[in-house]
Amino acid sequence: MEINYAYKFKGLSSKELWDVIQDPDVLKEVLPGCKKFEKVGDEQYEAIMGINMGPIKGEFTADVEQVDKNEPESYRLLVKAKGKPGEINADAKMTFIGDDEGTELTCVAAIEVTGLMATIGQRMVGGVAKTILKRFMKDIEKEAKNA
Amino acid sequence: MEKLVGQRLKRKEDPKLITGNGTYVDDIKLQGMLHASVLRSPHPHAKIVSIDTTKAEDLEGVVKIYTGKDLEGKINPVPSSWLVPGANLIETKQYPLAIGTVRYVGDGVAFIVAKDRYIARDALNLIDVEYETLPSIANQKDARKEDAPQIFEEVKNNVAFTYIAGEVLDDDIEKEEVVVRESYNSQRVAPSPMETRNSLGYFNPGDGELKLYVGSQNPHIHRMVLSEVLDFPEHKLQVIVPDMGGGFGGKIGVYPDEALVAYATMDLETPVKWVEERNEHFQSANGGRDMMVDVELAGTKDGYMKALRVVNHANVGAYLATFGPGNPTIDFGLMMSGSYKIPKAQVTTYGMYTNTMSVDSYRGAGKPESTYMLERAVDEYARQIGMDPVEVRRKNFPDKDEFPFTNAQGLVYDSGDYQKPLDVALETADYEALRKEQAKLRKEGRYIGIGLASYVELSGFGPSAVAGAIGFQGGIWENSTVRVHPGGTVTVFTGTSPHGQGHDTTFTQIVADKLGIPYEDINFVFNDTKSVSMGWGTYGSRSLPVGGTAIAMACDKVIDKAMKVAVHLLEADADDVAFEKGIFYTKGNPENKKTFQEIAKAANFAWSMPEGIEPGLEEKMFYDPENFTYPFGTHLVVVEVDVETGEIEILRFIAVTDAGELINPLVVEGQVLGAIAQGVGQALWEEIQYNSKGQLLSGSFMDYTMPKARFFPKIEMKFTHTASPVNQLKAKGVAESGTTGSIASTVNAVIDALTPFDVSNIETPLTPERVWRAIQKGAKN
Repeated sequence: MEINYAYKFKGLSSKELWDVIQDPDVLKEVLPGCKKFEKVGDEQYEAIMGINMGPIKGEFTADVEQVDKNEPESYRLLVKAKGKPGEINADAKMTFIGDDEGTELTCVAAIEVTGLMATIGQRMVGGVAKTILKRFMKDIEKEAKNA
Repeated sequence: MEKLVGQRLKRKEDPKLITGNGTYVDDIKLQGMLHASVLRSPHPHAKIVSIDTTKAEDLEGVVKIYTGKDLEGKINPVPSSWLVPGANLIETKQYPLAIGTVRYVGDGVAFIVAKDRYIARDALNLIDVEYETLPSIANQKDARKEDAPQIFEEVKNNVAFTYIAGEVLDDDIEKEEVVVRESYNSQRVAPSPMETRNSLGYFNPGDGELKLYVGSQNPHIHRMVLSEVLDFPEHKLQVIVPDMGGGFGGKIGVYPDEALVAYATMDLETPVKWVEERNEHFQSANGGRDMMVDVELAGTKDGYMKALRVVNHANVGAYLATFGPGNPTIDFGLMMSGSYKIPKAQVTTYGMYTNTMSVDSYRGAGKPESTYMLERAVDEYARQIGMDPVEVRRKNFPDKDEFPFTNAQGLVYDSGDYQKPLDVALETADYEALRKEQAKLRKEGRYIGIGLASYVELSGFGPSAVAGAIGFQGGIWENSTVRVHPGGTVTVFTGTSPHGQGHDTTFTQIVADKLGIPYEDINFVFNDTKSVSMGWGTYGSRSLPVGGTAIAMACDKVIDKAMKVAVHLLEADADDVAFEKGIFYTKGNPENKKTFQEIAKAANFAWSMPEGIEPGLEEKMFYDPENFTYPFGTHLVVVEVDVETGEIEILRFIAVTDAGELINPLVVEGQVLGAIAQGVGQALWEEIQYNSKGQLLSGSFMDYTMPKARFFPKIEMKFTHTASPVNQLKAKGVAESGTTGSIASTVNAVIDALTPFDVSNIETPLTPERVWRAIQKGAKN
């Protein structure tokens, strides 16, 4: 499944947005249900997140990796998460396009899920992912403005 | 007393069920009963690296957890029971719990037994399994490609079997004036009975007997197969099927889960129950259909079909199901030429292993698929030669005088008059007027379509010698014992196993007429391997033509013996005594008589029996039919397609069925109605979806559209009656006919509606999106 989501951060340059979104402490704060977000290697992180979407509830442990970094224009985020409701495999391309008003961040992600998330949650995954992304972007915006 | 056969009696079994007095497996509660759950693989194909059950074992109330390794050498693999010969069939081993490798989403990994079902369910989340995913594949055509992921090392290119029936050479096709070449797929569907699968085991360590209550369409097959799987003596294993909420083929199969319940109850020496959840059903109950078929149909410009060549890639899933190999080969392949005099036909079927759940029989099993492909191709042929589809069908039907008719693959159709149901359908619909209406509406921008399908079905499974020849691992005769009690009431035992078909009612009508006793005086025992000596179950529309005939013949034997007792008691000559409506009387003096009840008492008391006649009045019949029965008919469907949205509305559905003589027309109508709903469901709505790797995407009724009553107009049902010469009831099987005709007729109607848009094929189910896209694509051409 592919998800395509864009969010406009007004009054933030690409560089400002980049710095915020690369900060593990910020990420831990803004990722929904995030209990842990720790750097474990070069561009590698370990995270624990709680997800609660309808019948699919549970804690996910995730390996997150950033590759193809091209500051402050784009990077790819590889996520392998595992929880009781199934596994998530995501490959997300994040692109920053700045203009006079601010920066637009576009996320194009290919997502594969297994388990209950696939067999009964497939319909919801796209919608839920977008909801999570929207909340995430708004929280990032808040953090960036407070920074 | 009025004759009951032929009457529209309401179903005897319904008052119990609709007043909540039925007993289903999940209603049964035994002392000390434990509950089980199955941990299933979320991956289509993976190595099991490790399984850690310690956290789950620590959960209060968990009694025992089994993994595949724990059971290695203790339970045998669950076999297929239909080993089609001459097809290089490779049966792989399906262990009740996966050992080392999982091969489909839903493959059992661990079996948990706990004090209640909630604990059993919670414990699933506490088992940690580490998997190493392997390449996987769901599509059966792709699975045959050279570089496709291999599901079993020993099965090259994933080909489970290659079956060829008949021979059609290239020249037979090429030399004809018109050749239709098209691919038609019959997507996988879920049988979806109201009651999911289940089993409850009870082992008595005192006498060493194992009792298994299980949702099964064939308890004796379950006993036979599970006895082998568990290495447990057949005579100590009792399989009981209490009331059951539907099967539709999905409960023919002997499943790993049932073997696990049986094993656990013996191991723990306490009753164990497992009831499948709906999400589990979508993962691990056998699917139906799933055939991808390439058709070549060749004929003349003036409408005579000459040769038919078909290649079927049939998805068998990750393991061969109980009847799995038989459906796309024997059932599909031998019936491919349908109701037509096509001189030559060849069917090649590749049974393909994939990383999906197994596929087994589903209502009609092979015949709805073959009929769908053929009837679609016949319509396309008619279109290419510019002939009305009615005319093409008429030209190619065998004449009624040609029966028994031998089809291209050598099957002998018992009796038929195929023009008749077609005539009735056309007359009911007022076909000519409909075509005019269609032309008129098109000018107004409205698109109605008229779809036809004529079908013939192989039903009434069947002669046992044929079973042997086609690799069916069992007999297909049927058994009945008619036991007459001293008071003249009767208990009938039989090996077919009702789960909604109305056997009780239909069979009672037969017995009441035969013995001349009241309807209320007749009771049946089904579905218990300890009470019923042997039997082969309910599938293949066999219960009436085979089981019902066995009952009728056992009744004949009872009358024969009762007659001897009557002659003796009436002190008359054998030739002088007649039996009518429950009374034995002397022809010369009808007042010199004995009722059936009086004879019942006399035979049971045995104070004075004729010489050489044993006491009692109980007879047994083992009936092996000489042939299958071949019901047939025509469906005519009218739809309207909204070309802006792709939505389809069924305006009329006319089903003309010929199943020979009907015992109970009301019960038959119920069967036809339900079967049509399942066929139209396949045509328009239902689909099990896997992604290309075998990840299941349709795991609930939110993701899988079941047909609902409001989707249909009133179904117009009509019947013609061509007697079957195969059995004394003159009856043919009927339970699957509605499905067999309705997929093709519905799709043909939609395609007919879209003729102006140059649409010749759309994959089923015809969802609004697919229809809309086809219209857009067609309109561009």
